[in-house]
Amino acid sequence: MKVPVPLKILGFTVATTAFYTVVGQLVPQKEVHPPKQTALEKEMTSDELVKAGKEIMEGKGLCSTCHTIGKSGPLPFPDLDGIGAKAATRRPGLSAVDYLAQSLYDPDVYIVPGFNPGMPVIDEPPIGLTDQEVLALMAYLQSLGGQVTVTMESKVWPLAEGSGAAPPAGRD
Amino acid sequence: MKGRPNAKIAVASAVVVALALAATVGIVRFVLSREYRAPLRSDQAEQTPRVQAQQDEAAAQAKADRERPYSEESYRRFPVVGSRVAVWVLAQLHLLFAAFVLAVPLFVLIIEFIGWLNGDERYGELAHEFTKLLSVSLSLTASFGAFLLFMLVLLYPKFMNYLMHVFSPTFAPYVGLFFLEAFFLYTYYYGWGKFSAVTHLLLGLGLNIVGTAIMLIANAWLTFMTTPAGISESGAVISTMDAVRNYTWMPINIHRMIANVAFGGSVAAAFAAFKFLAAKTDAERAHYDWMGYIGNFVAICAFLPLPFAGYWLASEIYAYSQTLGLTMMGGAFSWLFIIQAVLIGNLFLGANYYLWLGMGRVQASERFQGYIKYLLILIALCFAVWATPRSIIATVSETRAMGGGSHPQLGYLGVMSAKNTAVNILILTTYVSFLLYRRSGRTPTVSWAKLGNALQVAISLLAGGIVLFLGIYGYFVEASVRIRLSVPQVGSVLFAMIAVTVIDVLMYRNAKSLGETHWGRIHPISQYVLIFLAVTFTWLMGLMGYVRSGLRQHWHVYGVVRDTSVDAFTPTLGYATRVVSVTVLLFFLLIGIVFWLASLSDHTKEHA
Repeated sequence: MKVPVPLKILGFTVATTAFYTVVGQLVPQKEVHPPKQTALEKEMTSDELVKAGKEIMEGKGLCSTCHTIGKSGPLPFPDLDGIGAKAATRRPGLSAVDYLAQSLYDPDVYIVPGFNPGMPVIDEPPIGLTDQEVLALMAYLQSLGGQVTVTMESKVWPLAEGSGAAPPAGRD
Repeated sequence: MKGRPNAKIAVASAVVVALALAATVGIVRFVLSREYRAPLRSDQAEQTPRVQAQQDEAAAQAKADRERPYSEESYRRFPVVGSRVAVWVLAQLHLLFAAFVLAVPLFVLIIEFIGWLNGDERYGELAHEFTKLLSVSLSLTASFGAFLLFMLVLLYPKFMNYLMHVFSPTFAPYVGLFFLEAFFLYTYYYGWGKFSAVTHLLLGLGLNIVGTAIMLIANAWLTFMTTPAGISESGAVISTMDAVRNYTWMPINIHRMIANVAFGGSVAAAFAAFKFLAAKTDAERAHYDWMGYIGNFVAICAFLPLPFAGYWLASEIYAYSQTLGLTMMGGAFSWLFIIQAVLIGNLFLGANYYLWLGMGRVQASERFQGYIKYLLILIALCFAVWATPRSIIATVSETRAMGGGSHPQLGYLGVMSAKNTAVNILILTTYVSFLLYRRSGRTPTVSWAKLGNALQVAISLLAGGIVLFLGIYGYFVEASVRIRLSVPQVGSVLFAMIAVTVIDVLMYRNAKSLGETHWGRIHPISQYVLIFLAVTFTWLMGLMGYVRSGLRQHWHVYGVVRDTSVDAFTPTLGYATRVVSVTVLLFFLLIGIVFWLASLSDHTKEHA
């Protein structure tokens, strides 16, 4: 029996489309939902704050999209392993808390050598963390190799006068 | 004796009277039960506390209805598949037909212009044949556009209200241009052979200018949604012009223009393939083989620079927001680019295979066939590199054995340095295939032919060497340096293609013919390759349309208008590819009708 040409073409088109559909089913399947609100209370212990900060880091903060923890090699953005300790030494005149706060609220002031600017301002859309969420996130970052000192009562931004936060020369 | 019968009659009469009375009472009761009762009388008669409560409730509801304030609905729900899928499929169908309607006039005009320049009537006829596909396609484009607009207004009223707030000054010009497009298209099509050649060419030019302007306006709306500009922090419009000229507007304009031509060329080639396969005579086969070749040539010429336009678009997305860029390449959509690699790899394989099969129609092309296996090896290697993911789906024990999510060796092929290198070599290889096809059946007669050949080989090898060196170098430098290496890679390939083409054109002037080109003498499988390329291009457009739009994730306008509907999540890639496939099949069913309608005019002529 001779199959009519239009039918052959239809069958071939369906087969090609089916092939690509199958390819689409073979890759990892993940549904991404809008970030959930992390519950934050005034009276939180350091451990609770760190746990909430980790949730924000992986969820609403979108930090894990760019930053890794404990990876080496040609990375596009700085690895955050040990940032709790490194933060105090990155910029002379800035404490660990000040450095972390500045990196989150005004990230282009200082770029880690070897990397490009690219960090978004964390308290503006599309990320839009609240000040409380930033505190929880900072607590988590401090916990990566350092001592957690921030609490929900801390005032970290804007930096206090004379904290050494003057922008590097040449910056607008 | 006389008294007894009278007594009987008396008893019987009494029974009859009693029955008659009973029947009368029954009838009266029946009639009374159906008697009309005035509502007042009825209410008064049946008033109970429950009825009273119901009346109070109804009165309260009526009062609440009268006093209800107007509030704008944010979303309405489309049955069964949901609003997102309904709008997604309609938008994609509209875009596919729009791409076709914009692309075909572009290369039809070029073909007609070539025919006018060299006086070869075949080009004019070919251009006319391509144009036949346009009129029905324009109607379908407009119908899907109107359908899409109604659905958007119906299902996303609040968001559409916001877009109107920003872009209302662009709507009237858009509609006006659409009328102009219809005018130019129908005058161009129906005026074939009825105007002077120059007037007809100018009509075609007008059609292309108006079509491009329409695309530029529509692109402003959709690019604004991803990279908004010209608005305040709360979303109030400051400058509509700035909203139009947002970060990704021009890269999308260029990318779409090139992609539309590649897509339009491939669909037109698929039409020729359909006609070739259904042809009954050698003359028909020769004509449609040539038509398919031209359509595919247009598609591949546009396809080669497409990755470069893609780089520019991606870099503008990164420039606007690193978060957006990384969501695209390293986040939720990273695996989509592996699917894209399979599609583009298939396009390169298909395009090269068609060229190699095409050598069969040219006499004395055997001398180049030995090179095909090397080209195939290169293409296969590059395809494999491009399709290698950075992280691999593995079990816990496999991940532990590898020391992470990446394979210890193959993982190095999953990064951008390797992929940029692979795609540039793929482009170069396809160009070499085309060059071999172009040279089939001819030999140069110029005195400097040997030098020309040597120069061409040297330039190609040099470009390949630069691409390979920079690809490897990228592994040893910091991210800030690595990201800039793609520019010299792309630059060297573009330079090689331009320089080698210039040398080839000069070298093959007055070339000696070694044999005829026998159009129509090609294996039928080549026509299925053309259909495969058209389906793959269409599917690729569907997939990349999804990533461009899905990139915003839970935002209608990124960072400004949040999506709070039930569809605010990003579906799995498996789900997305199923929607893309359904859309592609719907498109091909509809374009099949367009082909059929275009063929009807041939039948009419045959019968006439």
